[in-house]
Amino acid sequence: MKAIFAIASTTVGEAIRRKVLLIILLIGVLFIVVAPGLGILSARSETTVLKSFMLGVTQGVSAIIAVILTVYMIPNEIERRTIYTILSKPVQRWQFLVGKYLGAVMSLLLMMAMMSAVMALMFFLQQQSKNAAEIAELLKGPMMYFVQMSLLAAVAIFFSTFVAPLVNFFLTVGVFLVGVFFNPLFQSLQDNQNTATLVKKAAWAVNTFLPNFANYNVQNPLINQNSAIQNEGRYYLGITVYGVVYICILLILGILIFDRREV
Amino acid sequence: MAAAIETKQLTKSYKARQAGTINVVDHLDLHVEEGEIFGFLGPNGAGKTTTIKMLLGIIYPTSGEGFVLGKEIGDMDVHRLISYLPERPYYYEHMTGLELLKFYGSLFGITDKAKFIALLEKVNLHRDMTKTISQYSKGMQQRVGLAQSLLNDPKLLFLDEPTGGLDPIAHREIRDLILSFRDEGRTVFISSHELSEVELICDRVAIINKGVIARQGKLTELLKGGRIEITAEGVPESLLKNLNLPDSNLRVLASGLMLDMPEENDPNGVIDAIRSQKGRVISVVPRRKRLEDLFVETVTVKGGKS
Repeated sequence: MKAIFAIASTTVGEAIRRKVLLIILLIGVLFIVVAPGLGILSARSETTVLKSFMLGVTQGVSAIIAVILTVYMIPNEIERRTIYTILSKPVQRWQFLVGKYLGAVMSLLLMMAMMSAVMALMFFLQQQSKNAAEIAELLKGPMMYFVQMSLLAAVAIFFSTFVAPLVNFFLTVGVFLVGVFFNPLFQSLQDNQNTATLVKKAAWAVNTFLPNFANYNVQNPLINQNSAIQNEGRYYLGITVYGVVYICILLILGILIFDRREV
Repeated sequence: MAAAIETKQLTKSYKARQAGTINVVDHLDLHVEEGEIFGFLGPNGAGKTTTIKMLLGIIYPTSGEGFVLGKEIGDMDVHRLISYLPERPYYYEHMTGLELLKFYGSLFGITDKAKFIALLEKVNLHRDMTKTISQYSKGMQQRVGLAQSLLNDPKLLFLDEPTGGLDPIAHREIRDLILSFRDEGRTVFISSHELSEVELICDRVAIINKGVIARQGKLTELLKGGRIEITAEGVPESLLKNLNLPDSNLRVLASGLMLDMPEENDPNGVIDAIRSQKGRVISVVPRRKRLEDLFVETVTVKGGKS
């Protein structure tokens, strides 16, 4: 356990010093800071625009950070030969992989917490809202995005155990985009009585085997007062458990592949 | 003496698209005794690093078997007793020397700060322990690498090109450190191209070429076969010819005669013969065989497996 924690904390130390990640984070924070000024550009309610924009930026920037952070993580360790000094110590490969993953998740947590804090502050300043519950309600978004990004990081780490970084990048981004935008489509194809059996089966396969990132797109109920999630607590718990189970499966598969891989 | 490393027919093959299967390491039989400094030599691509990686359990052998400190390679218990310094190592640059040792120490469950500082003192980095690795010179990085390799008080150290790319002063510092490891009773397995360095510090060597061990043995035995040149004046040519020394050459110089003979022959006998004829010995020069000669001869003439 100590080895996993040591590898994870070193990964955080490296991640928070990576200039490219800091620049992306800074851009995200800047967008959130200027968000209150964007209300005038839209005919919609200022609060709606503000929430929508800030949540969108947090999700988008977090996704970019998650991909950049994780796609090169394992290949870099091999290329720089740091993995050899670590694996020649009493460290198992699974400990190394889990340590790297946890380090990535902890880094994401730090960076997303920073964006969320700025988001909460800007919302407070703009709305002059002294209602803590309203701010807490808004922060449910980043919390679910964090589970979503942890799942995305697990996808990238899984692919990095057997494909080259560039291929991994496209695979991970592809899986994420399909999971975010097309999962509802596949679900409706699966449920539609008129869909051909073969298409239904294909839709079922995609829906079953690709992680459903769309689960975590909770911005609508957070932005629109009229759309609410029924039994909200249970829903959030359900998708969190779904994410954790999926992450565990991906990590186990990744470990099995990485264990036999020549590094 | 017990074997620190023993391999039997250890082989690593890769499939190449056009060349079929290539044996990068081909039926390797290696024997390294405990407490010695063992040089593992070979040209680029000979299979040195692949062998080390197999011995460390980082890559898996295709066939054959290997034992490190009496246990099968890959055994995690052995990893507590060995250490590895890779060629041109990279360390997390944001860390200080002390933090780096803390990190590697934590992989063994070692948290003793006094031990970290003592190791940094041993490699003469204690004054720079608060500097980040990015501020370290190549030599300092190599020394901090050696410090991390001593964290677990290893019985066996694998050093891959430990002096590669270092200046002469750093060379000497690293060499002295390696010699101190032997004095402490550790076994050191060095893969290197620095033949003069290896000749100075190693007890035994193996030369690997194209995945095959071409030579292996004690340096003193492998470097046997040197020659002695005796130059003399005031003696007839026939005297030296009549000595009938095998594998010897006699050359006539402006200053006299020069007899070139294998070092196995007794030079005193020749000197006595010259003096008995009132001749004068000008010089006796032993021409010792060097490791570089042996290496070139092995790699180019013997060529390993072709």
